[in-house]
Amino acid sequence: MKKRIFAILCAAILPVCAMTGCGSKPASSSSPANPSNAGSSSNTDSSASKDTSAAGSNGKTTLNILWWGSQTRHDLTTAMLEKFEELNPDIDVVMDYSDWGGYWTKLPAQVAGGQTPDVFQMDYAYLSQYANNGVLAELDGYIADGSLDMSDVAENIIKSGSVNGKVYAISTGTNAPVMLYRKDILDELNLSLSMNPTMSEYTAVSKAVYEAAGLHDTYIVDCSATSFRQYLRNYGLNLYNDNATALGFDDPKYLVNMWQLALQAQEEGWGLMPGDGTAVSAFDSMVLDAWSRFQNSNELQAYRDSTGKDIRMVMLPSMDDGTTPATFLKPAMFWCVGADSKVKDAAVRFINFFTNSTECYDIVGIERAVPISAKMREYVTPSLDEVGKEVVEFIDYVSQPGRASPLMNADPEVHQAVGELMSQYSEQVRYGEITDLEAAARQFMDEANKIIADGVKAAE
Amino acid sequence: MKKKISFRQKFFSVLDRDNVAGYVFTLPFIIGVIVFTAIPFFTSLYLSFTEYNVLAPAKWIGIQNYKEMFFEDKLFWTSFKVTFKFAFIQVPIKLTVSLLVALVLARATRLTSFYRAAFYIPSLMGGSVAIALLWKQLFSRNGVINQILGIFGLPNDTSWLGNPKTALGTLISLGVWQFGSSMLIFLASIKNIPASYHEAAIVDGAGPVRRFFSITLPMLTPIIFFNLINQVIGAFQAFNSSYLITQGKPLNSTLYYGVHLYNKAFDQFRMGYGCAMAWFMLLIIAFFTALIFRSSSAWVYYESEGK
Repeated sequence: MKKRIFAILCAAILPVCAMTGCGSKPASSSSPANPSNAGSSSNTDSSASKDTSAAGSNGKTTLNILWWGSQTRHDLTTAMLEKFEELNPDIDVVMDYSDWGGYWTKLPAQVAGGQTPDVFQMDYAYLSQYANNGVLAELDGYIADGSLDMSDVAENIIKSGSVNGKVYAISTGTNAPVMLYRKDILDELNLSLSMNPTMSEYTAVSKAVYEAAGLHDTYIVDCSATSFRQYLRNYGLNLYNDNATALGFDDPKYLVNMWQLALQAQEEGWGLMPGDGTAVSAFDSMVLDAWSRFQNSNELQAYRDSTGKDIRMVMLPSMDDGTTPATFLKPAMFWCVGADSKVKDAAVRFINFFTNSTECYDIVGIERAVPISAKMREYVTPSLDEVGKEVVEFIDYVSQPGRASPLMNADPEVHQAVGELMSQYSEQVRYGEITDLEAAARQFMDEANKIIADGVKAAE
Repeated sequence: MKKKISFRQKFFSVLDRDNVAGYVFTLPFIIGVIVFTAIPFFTSLYLSFTEYNVLAPAKWIGIQNYKEMFFEDKLFWTSFKVTFKFAFIQVPIKLTVSLLVALVLARATRLTSFYRAAFYIPSLMGGSVAIALLWKQLFSRNGVINQILGIFGLPNDTSWLGNPKTALGTLISLGVWQFGSSMLIFLASIKNIPASYHEAAIVDGAGPVRRFFSITLPMLTPIIFFNLINQVIGAFQAFNSSYLITQGKPLNSTLYYGVHLYNKAFDQFRMGYGCAMAWFMLLIIAFFTALIFRSSSAWVYYESEGK
């Protein structure tokens, strides 16, 4: 008898478990984040767990938003989204976020699981891949009917979020790649770096800093696809041609020059050897290993906060014989709308809020770079702190004619594979496994062109 | 009426059976295995024959992934060799160290339980980022290891993690340092060896070395066998130490198979290729496990068989 009761009990418990298991699944998969440190998002939490369909049980629209960033960004964005909810009482926002590294496994997993967020951040490097695979919603219609007001935004900035002539993404702000450096150390050594340094100026300072303070350079010795692209910009070239069907250069000398400079750096000691870095994060690196670092202008605040050092920025060093600057203006990141989103109108309302409302910039300032709307830029500048003003001034400086090279076309989908190949070759050069640099450069170009061609064929 | 009773009777007689309670209890586990193991397992087999970038639906390409793996991807064979080297060096060292430490700790002293815990701690901290940081600092050019070497007048400017000759060794030392779990298993079974065997041997005049090789070691062979299989499987699947400390560098000397798989699948978004690599590794592990099992009859001693 006991056994029988037991079995019935178990049988009764099981479906309950199963039901609660299934019941909580959709809710948890569409609002998995909101970790406890998010703090003040409890109101969105409760509504999300009750209902996840487009229109909630309380008649509200649920809007899923996903972004990457640092803790600073998470705090600011949470506060900004709460303001958005207050102004749009019919919308419930479900927030979700991650760091940069985790984001590019988290977003694909959500897309593959049919849970694409309604609004999410996008990077220029991945834009064409996501657009071509049909993950992103077209936004031209919303711009045309005025629900996405772009009247204060320059045409070329709108275009930067388009793929094959259609707008899929709205830039969050304008950024420039920069060279961050430790001003406190340069001051101590009576050195300085001009606002628009040449490569020979930069290498001379690098050498002096290394000999006096033991800190290294990480930019010259990087030799990755990203830093190689900066070299090419000096000669008006891009890593890929305009249709992204082949490499954008056919002379091995560019690669050879980059490698020779890196070899010189490590022979003279001022370039950081691979494996010698002791830092675990990029922030640590500017305290432990390096005096300078290649980053983006909107990251200045984060670097100052987390290192506690006097970090300043200048334009990327340009080759002495270069014809165009290495620095360029680019969209810091984008907001995109999921192609399968059921609440596109609400999603567009949010992007419009982010682009054009003073309430938004009262909270977020220029954390996602300098606003694309001229009006908002004017509005936000006076209220910024010193670091913020420095960033806006820097963007203004780079925006002057002749200071920036144009934004190049989007990369092919196989860019990651080409980048890996480049790193493989560069490492062999730096370890002295390859001594015939010109032959190696030609071999790299052949192999990279083959990867790109195969990629084009596979896409057809 | 009659029918109803028979149904009731049938129903309760089913419930009364011993197996039913068993099945009901194991059901959560069975569901777990099906949903979280069996389905992903066979899905990955299917995906290994496709080109799948996660964003677009998988496209069937037959054995193209396997062809590329074996004939075109140079890094595949590099990573394969690195993993073999790693496994064949780390596993014997780790087993020997854990056995020796277990022998020392088997003696009952007041501090034994403290040492047992102390030696086990590294295994708990295993793949954490904190350990990666610690290892980077210890083995950097100005790190503690080089400073100690300097005290003894040995060459002290090796960049342990930057030199392709020493990087893998540095990671192996991290793996060996985490010998705690196999040590605990050895320790438990050493204590299980009846004291009467040793007493009899002492009466016969056997010294400690002779007793180790004639009593302790043979009695431990089933445990060595168990630890060996566990460690070999673990070594082939190694991922954390390389991913966190060296990212496969320098010159691919620490590019474990798992790290190469991860780069392909998650950096280059080639999930199909990643699945193909995973399935090949499954076969390799199955082969070595079978080999060890086959060989066991020659060297593993089971008391119950009375050999």
